[in-house]
Amino acid sequence: MANSNLPRRIIKETQRLLSEPAPGISASPSEDNMRYFNVMILGPTQSPYEGGVFKLELFLPEEYPMAAPKVRFLTKIYHPNIDKLGRICLDILKDKWSPALQIRTVLLSIQALLSAPNPDDPLSENIAKHWKTNEVEAVETAKEWTRLYASGA
Amino acid sequence: MVSEDELDMQDAAAESAEDDFYSGGEEDGFDSDDADVADYEFIDNDSDDSDDLISHRYQQNYTILSEGDIRQRQDDDIMRIATVLSISKVAATILLRYYNWSVSKVHDEWFADEEKVRRAVGLLEEPVVPFPDGREMTCGICFETYPSDRLRAVVCGHAFCNSCWAGYISTAINDGPGCLMLRCPDPSCNAAVGQDMINVLTSNEDSDKYSRYFIRSYIEDNRKTKWCPAPGCDYAVDFIVGSGSYDVICRCAYSFCWNCTEEAHRPVDCGTVAKWILKNSAESENMNWILANSKPCPKCKRPIEKNQGCMHITCTPPCKFEFCWLCLGAWSDHGERTGGFYACNRYETAKQEGVYDDAEKRREMAKNSLERYTHYYERWATNQTSRQKALADLQQMQNVHLEKLSDIQCQPESQLKFIIEAWLQIVECRRVLKWTYAYGYYLPEHEHAKRLFFEYLQGEAESGLERLHQCAEKELQIYLNAEGPSKDFNEFRTKLAGLTSVTRNYFENLVRALENGLSDVDSHGACSRMASSKSLGGGSSRARAGRGKGSTSRSSGPSRNIDEPGHWSCEYCTFANIKPATICAMCQQRR
Repeated sequence: MANSNLPRRIIKETQRLLSEPAPGISASPSEDNMRYFNVMILGPTQSPYEGGVFKLELFLPEEYPMAAPKVRFLTKIYHPNIDKLGRICLDILKDKWSPALQIRTVLLSIQALLSAPNPDDPLSENIAKHWKTNEVEAVETAKEWTRLYASGA
Repeated sequence: MVSEDELDMQDAAAESAEDDFYSGGEEDGFDSDDADVADYEFIDNDSDDSDDLISHRYQQNYTILSEGDIRQRQDDDIMRIATVLSISKVAATILLRYYNWSVSKVHDEWFADEEKVRRAVGLLEEPVVPFPDGREMTCGICFETYPSDRLRAVVCGHAFCNSCWAGYISTAINDGPGCLMLRCPDPSCNAAVGQDMINVLTSNEDSDKYSRYFIRSYIEDNRKTKWCPAPGCDYAVDFIVGSGSYDVICRCAYSFCWNCTEEAHRPVDCGTVAKWILKNSAESENMNWILANSKPCPKCKRPIEKNQGCMHITCTPPCKFEFCWLCLGAWSDHGERTGGFYACNRYETAKQEGVYDDAEKRREMAKNSLERYTHYYERWATNQTSRQKALADLQQMQNVHLEKLSDIQCQPESQLKFIIEAWLQIVECRRVLKWTYAYGYYLPEHEHAKRLFFEYLQGEAESGLERLHQCAEKELQIYLNAEGPSKDFNEFRTKLAGLTSVTRNYFENLVRALENGLSDVDSHGACSRMASSKSLGGGSSRARAGRGKGSTSRSSGPSRNIDEPGHWSCEYCTFANIKPATICAMCQQRR
């Protein structure tokens, strides 16, 4: 029912996401709710997440595109800006959201966040501390978690 | 109209300020009050050094601003910037908002580096992309295609359709005051969205909200202005920082502290008030059942609710027992013979130390600490309630009784202003007295001399106020209920006006003494006879209070303490010491 009056923008975005997917990113709407997307992001090369396949969920609220989509990691990940519930600390998902941004740009930003963790603006205090005091060891843990939880088995 | 009143008020003599602020929020009443000042000015003049004190206290270091005043100031500032910088009013508004409405800051920054300011604030001079004039374009928000006349952009040229713009603006407005700093929706662009665009595209409801945020920003983002914290009050206060007392009296009659925005609390400092309020909220559960709203009559045990201002309670017939609300002792014990009215402000910390075992001692200590707190809280709260009641009585007096009294006593209402004056003083005194209990609670136990001095001053203040309150409340009834003009009405006038004046002086000195941290008392014992006799705050106030009383109920003056059983009066400083002491607690002189 919610799908019957889906805004044209969401339909167009969905079509483009399916026809010209961004590299390393796939997003497909759920069959029974066109506002709910199953997302997969490949761990960027030369990052501790390389080789991992990360599952996320993305939901477009009623106010979208005036309000930001809601995005959450479903795969466990060791990252200073992502907490254990998978919530993501990213400015464009909050106060820096603009209706001219899209699902694609949001997912590309999340991919970029995996390449460039920002321990100075942490969501997970412990992981950020780990990152700042011993980056080599923290990166090792991130790699370990990628092997354990995101090996795409 | 309002701002004119405002100016008048600042220029007017010190005394007029007081009734304006207190007269119950009725604007109409103000003007007439002003006009009548001269009629009862004498009240302030019968005490020598009070004049400079009063003018010091009432010298206004703040301005009350109505919504109209605020908008006027906002417009003036915007015009000034627009003129000096030769930019549009819309751009000037954006600049001022960005620099927290500081005209000088805008000047400084702009003339230091205009380019940098333009970039930071988002005031572009030319488009970043060309606007699609005469062509069709797809809106970047809804992905629909529109002809250019249904698209819109700010200076940058990033075009979006009208309805997406409207949605964007409406969302921002409903998100909060951030809408005042709105930028182009294009994520890579920081061009500011001005009020011109917003005005065209918003609904009335959103427009009102925006306008509220706009006016609020002018007050809240500016360090010199604050809103009056009274519920439902729309006035703001412009305060000259660093100019003495923080007490502000809003045009709505609410008085508050500009520094901490709690209710006015002189002579107690903001830190103590914060502590006290926190403590009250932490212990309020206990206090609720300890205090409840009634006390049993000490004689017949019927529950009594206090619904009159003063502490002198008379139980209803047939009991008719007269007692003191605070200590529940017989009222007859509160006369001169027991050392002045209201000796019950003194809290005896000296409990019998006996043969208690440790557990019992701890229990006793816990009980004492609660008892001690209860003592101060109860008196703090009682004065608060009394003040509320007095405020209501003042209203009633102004709205109803004054006219009636004027008829009965055949006096023009302007000649009855001394009654209003008395009630205003009662309200103010209740406020001060209330806070002296928070002061007393935090006065260190070991500062024995200070405590004694404080309790003495407080006790005197309380008895003086009770006398005034009693006179304004109970004695006035006689003249209100009279059939025709009373012969002794003029005597009553003299008495009440005198009491008002004496009480005002006493409280002003009390406030000063407490604000000075009771510095007249040297607790280390180095205080000399000279120093204490020269002392200004508490010392002179004592003398003055004594003189005032002489004219009303007491004739013995400052030396009265000699007669009191259990006390001896120090011949150097006249302080009333307890019998067992051989050295004066005040000036350390031997008996």
